[in-house]
Amino acid sequence: MVELNFWSKFLTIQTHRMKFPLSENDSRTLRAGDQVVIDGEIIVTAGLPTHQRLIRCLDGLEPLPFNLLGQTLFHLGSYCQAKTRPEGIEQLDVVYINPTTSTRFNDVMPRLIGELQLHAVGGKGGLDARSVEAMKKTGCVYLSFLGGGATLHTQSIQEVLEVGWSDMLMHYRLMRLRVMGLGPVTVAMDAHGNSIYADTQVNAQTRMNQIMAFMDVARQEAATKNKC
Amino acid sequence: MAISSELIKSVTAELYERSLRKIPLDAMDALVGAAQVESNETARHTLRIMIKSAEEAEKTGQFVCSDSGVPVYFIRVGTQVQFSGHVREAITQGFDQLVSTIQPPLLPHITHPLTLERGYKGAGMPLVTFDMVDGSDCMDITCSPKALGSGRWAALEVFSFPDLRTIEKYVLDVVARAGSQPCPPVVVGVGIGGSFDYAAKLAKEATLRPIGEHHTEGMVADMEKRLLAGINMMGFGPMGTGGDFTASAVHVNYAAGHGFTPVAVAFNCWINRRTRAHIFNDGRVEFLE
Repeated sequence: MVELNFWSKFLTIQTHRMKFPLSENDSRTLRAGDQVVIDGEIIVTAGLPTHQRLIRCLDGLEPLPFNLLGQTLFHLGSYCQAKTRPEGIEQLDVVYINPTTSTRFNDVMPRLIGELQLHAVGGKGGLDARSVEAMKKTGCVYLSFLGGGATLHTQSIQEVLEVGWSDMLMHYRLMRLRVMGLGPVTVAMDAHGNSIYADTQVNAQTRMNQIMAFMDVARQEAATKNKC
Repeated sequence: MAISSELIKSVTAELYERSLRKIPLDAMDALVGAAQVESNETARHTLRIMIKSAEEAEKTGQFVCSDSGVPVYFIRVGTQVQFSGHVREAITQGFDQLVSTIQPPLLPHITHPLTLERGYKGAGMPLVTFDMVDGSDCMDITCSPKALGSGRWAALEVFSFPDLRTIEKYVLDVVARAGSQPCPPVVVGVGIGGSFDYAAKLAKEATLRPIGEHHTEGMVADMEKRLLAGINMMGFGPMGTGGDFTASAVHVNYAAGHGFTPVAVAFNCWINRRTRAHIFNDGRVEFLE
């Protein structure tokens, strides 16, 4: 498990330690920019085919592998191995876990958030404006995990509770996990219509003329210098 | 004296494995430096977790990222080098062997581009680029595995007699399109000129240059500094949740061409996976990073 004291040394931003699956109420209390440490149950997958299959379930073409209603769905891929406990019971062990780019799932997430009543989703890179709307309606936050944080994320995993769709590639399967102290992760999109991703993109585009003007000056100065 | 296939097999496999468990020193230094001056609190926090994540992976021998990418090698062969067996085949066998022995195991990321089936083998894998170096007596191998996170956002456009401003604006546009998604702070490699394929290769090679090392020509070095300042004014920040450090470095390489000028832009994510070794004719191996 991650030593929690490590973070407290420099954390002055608002950090919430919360129980998952996140309730609608808890979700609505969070604001973009907050940090969250996760305890409890989460569901993870990194597969686009998995998301397409979930949509088939919503269309009534296939049953869900286990209950996803009101749960938490994170875009995290995992490698698991079977291990035998001392008492002879075989169970799955998560060897490593890490986020994948969520924008790949932009087309399906609004439906999944709305129809499965997901109160927390996450991964890295964010989701688009359609998900912002769905998140407002449902009461859902998007949590940004550190990409390249496999070692830290993995340390917080306590148990694999359930595996859905074992016929799929390992990191595509739906895994229900019990975690303790996962994070801190950043609330990058909240249930009030705020998205840090949308804000940073708008800022970047708004500043583009100013940036180009700055670079024009720097280019002229460099040209003069290189002539001397 | 000649370099054996066995040696190439083991060194290329080891380079790949090393790249998964440890980030290069220059990448670590860039993060530590950024964490000291970053003005955004969330970004500072993210940078510190990045440093902690890299340190913890190295200490415990785990992978920094679960996505081990696909194996990519850049090999510069000295003209004085002798081989006693196959080279390309040795690299393929080295990877196959690594897949069957590495702990923890790799996820199957090699993807057939037409069927999207995934596994540990595929056409052209590992991806290897060979170059010759006149007079050198060593085989210089760089390994830089590539995954979707940052690989997805590379782009290339062919211009006709572009001025510097046009080229620089294009680089900024490509970075803005990638935005929060390639796990910033990124290393941006820019390849200008040559032909379509050559510009892409120049951009890829530019991502491999150590952070902080500028192009030897003043005009190009100035362009790198200008682009880095411009990109970091955009504000995407570490992991794209806002901040001053969207890029740790911009490296520009160029080649002469015709009036059509391809401009290629490639990215490395913050872990900047890169390892390098030299193999000499007498079987000596030097791991540079």
